[in-house]
Amino acid sequence: MSSTRKKLTFGLTSILAASLVLGACGNNKASDNSAASGNGDKGETVELSWYTIGTPQKDVDKVMEEVSKYTKEKIGATVKMTMIDWGDYNQKMQVLTASGASMDIMFTASWAFDYVQNARKGAFAPIDELLDQYGKGIKETLDPAFLEGSKVDGKNYGVPANKELPAQEVWRFNKNILDENNLSFEGVRTLESLEPLLKTVKENNPDVIPFQVDKNFMPYVPYDYLIEKFPLAVKLDDTEYKVVNVFETPEMKQALATMHKYYKAGYVPTEAATLESSSDVQATGLWFADKATTQPFADNVWSTSYGYPIISTPQSDALVYNLSVMGSMQAISANSKHKEKAMEFLNLLNTDPVLRNMVDSGIEGTHYKKVDDTHMENLPESKNYDMPTFSLGNVMLTYLNPGDPDNKWEEFKSYNDAGQPAILLGFNFDPSKVSTEIAAVQNAKEAFWAPLMTGTVDPESYVPKAIEKLQAAGLDKIMAEAQSQLDAWKAANNK
Amino acid sequence: MKALGRHLKDINRNKAMLLMVLPASLWFICFSYLPMLGTIISFKEYRFSGSFLSSIINSKWVGFDNFKFLFRTDDAYIITRNTILYNAVFIFIGLVLAVAMAIVLSEIANKRLAKWYQTGMFMPYFLSWVIVGYFVYSFLSYDRGMINKIAVTLGADPTQWYSEPKYWPLIIVLVFLWKSLGYNSVIYLAAIMGIDKSLYEAAMIDGANKWQQIRNITLPMLTPLMTILTLLAIGRIFYADFGLFYQVTRDSGTLYSVTNVIDTYVYRGLKTTGEIGMSTAAGLYQSFVGFVLVITSNYIVRRFNKDNALF
Repeated sequence: MSSTRKKLTFGLTSILAASLVLGACGNNKASDNSAASGNGDKGETVELSWYTIGTPQKDVDKVMEEVSKYTKEKIGATVKMTMIDWGDYNQKMQVLTASGASMDIMFTASWAFDYVQNARKGAFAPIDELLDQYGKGIKETLDPAFLEGSKVDGKNYGVPANKELPAQEVWRFNKNILDENNLSFEGVRTLESLEPLLKTVKENNPDVIPFQVDKNFMPYVPYDYLIEKFPLAVKLDDTEYKVVNVFETPEMKQALATMHKYYKAGYVPTEAATLESSSDVQATGLWFADKATTQPFADNVWSTSYGYPIISTPQSDALVYNLSVMGSMQAISANSKHKEKAMEFLNLLNTDPVLRNMVDSGIEGTHYKKVDDTHMENLPESKNYDMPTFSLGNVMLTYLNPGDPDNKWEEFKSYNDAGQPAILLGFNFDPSKVSTEIAAVQNAKEAFWAPLMTGTVDPESYVPKAIEKLQAAGLDKIMAEAQSQLDAWKAANNK
Repeated sequence: MKALGRHLKDINRNKAMLLMVLPASLWFICFSYLPMLGTIISFKEYRFSGSFLSSIINSKWVGFDNFKFLFRTDDAYIITRNTILYNAVFIFIGLVLAVAMAIVLSEIANKRLAKWYQTGMFMPYFLSWVIVGYFVYSFLSYDRGMINKIAVTLGADPTQWYSEPKYWPLIIVLVFLWKSLGYNSVIYLAAIMGIDKSLYEAAMIDGANKWQQIRNITLPMLTPLMTILTLLAIGRIFYADFGLFYQVTRDSGTLYSVTNVIDTYVYRGLKTTGEIGMSTAAGLYQSFVGFVLVITSNYIVRRFNKDNALF
């Protein structure tokens, strides 16, 4: 008797609790809706909610108030910006998007809240028509390669920021050590051509790491990868567009053999394969050479940030890859109720220096002061509004910092104009049909990727093992799928 | 009508108790029972369309496709073996050491010193695996690690710890015990403190020595708690501690044969495609195996002693 009663009581309590919870949820939704419709009723002024990456700044709301005054006049919209910290951005945006939260504009890139992946999953609204109608300014300012290269299955889902377009790999040298040993990088381009320099440094400076390499390192080979850090690639000059396993190419085999030689000679850090990043070594300055991706005036930027002089020399041509086009973009949410206004705002952001600089540097007189027409200087208050410039649209509209050369943006433009498209520019592999195989191959690959790339293990014995493992995990099936997608793309684009 | 009246009376009589249960019930409904509906996603190819619910409804059914990646290669055997064996060892050794440590702590006459030891052992539990990973690195680093420095001073060759799989089963078990032992022994210590002191007095009068007291009073009194905690741990035997196997091993590829567990496998496999359906499938699979194991082990415990079982 008492046990049945207990059960009943428990049942009733659960029902009560459940109804409370559901009631609470329901209420929330109702109030959300009324707030949204309230905004719409006010007439033309709409509030755009903008999610972007970066450490949240104290003065964001204050600056956005000023921004809103300006945009209200120009396009009849106000802006509410929400910043999400670097490390949280991926996850929080996943949750916000999955829960259908109301957002209008959001930051996306190949490396944060993955642009291609989320475009395919339906997170972003296609913007081709919006661009034609409200985004004319964007189309005029951007190099066409930006919009061409960021197409996903033939459609654009994001506005790329106008910045450096091609990617070029360089060898960087710690100039102090270079000078100390009377060395010159004349004639250095390939991985092999570094050897005499590394040898000298190893002999003369026992404390210095001759060739700084960490687990993210990959030797340059003239191939365009289908997926970042995934062994499928197409040779840059292959008119047949044949997808290959990079470990089977002579270039990669040679590069890995050279890396292993360097590793055995002690040029590379012993624990390179598990070294998360090189920042510790860069802080001490006890390194001689490494590999990096450049942009105009990069040497100056590196030298300032490390506190000692850096010089660099190219190891590859400047090419426009998919990844370089998708470094920083703004997309419009598929759930947005104000897609047209959002595009008008993005158009203004990418063409209007007043708005762009306000978003970037804050309020004139509070956060920064202008020195002349093109230069500005940060005021002490700027510590409350320190934004990552590259993530907020067209960087070529921003004012120059005191040390910047006057021709900075002209140099960027000529650098961009000189860049040639890489072979896969505009082609984005759709992995959804082979996602099971990709998961298995990723696991097989991770086990030997860093040890091979850093030269830690002998490629003679490891590469055949690696290829075997990759094939067992289903690499051939992915390769066939990629090839058929690539052939279709090639036919459709008359390549 | 009459029945309803009786219920209302019942609720009224127990309202204080019900009110106490309410917060926990709400918590469970919100964070455990409602999310259970989401397991549907593991049978779908999840795509965004409007709100969360409409996304679920509009996504395509794919049957068991999302589960396939877990069983695709011979890695399936390695990750299952690693996950279950490590956890079995953690549960067993963890139990023995935690109980032993609790008994030792309870027998220390100087209570201030006992508190001191207890706190010292408890501290590592609060450290994140990232920090523990650096602690371990300071011992095992090739050129700066303490162990290699000592080895070199003694004339031995330095070891590349992060590329030698044979040492890692031991290292992982040691690090795990170091971090979790303090916490677990405190639970048992609390239970020992709750044992009626008159039992020990009676035993002493009967001439029992310390060892006999422990064997015949402390251990039998702890058995129900040991059983319940072990049963709960078995329910999570298919969940590996991601931080332990990813951070502490510095994600070193050459160690995967002994450090790849189901959680790290899922992470590595899905970071490129980000398929929500597949990660949900992995979670469902883990819960399902845990569920079956808990039910079976609970059934076995019941066969021996009904009072010690969970339900």
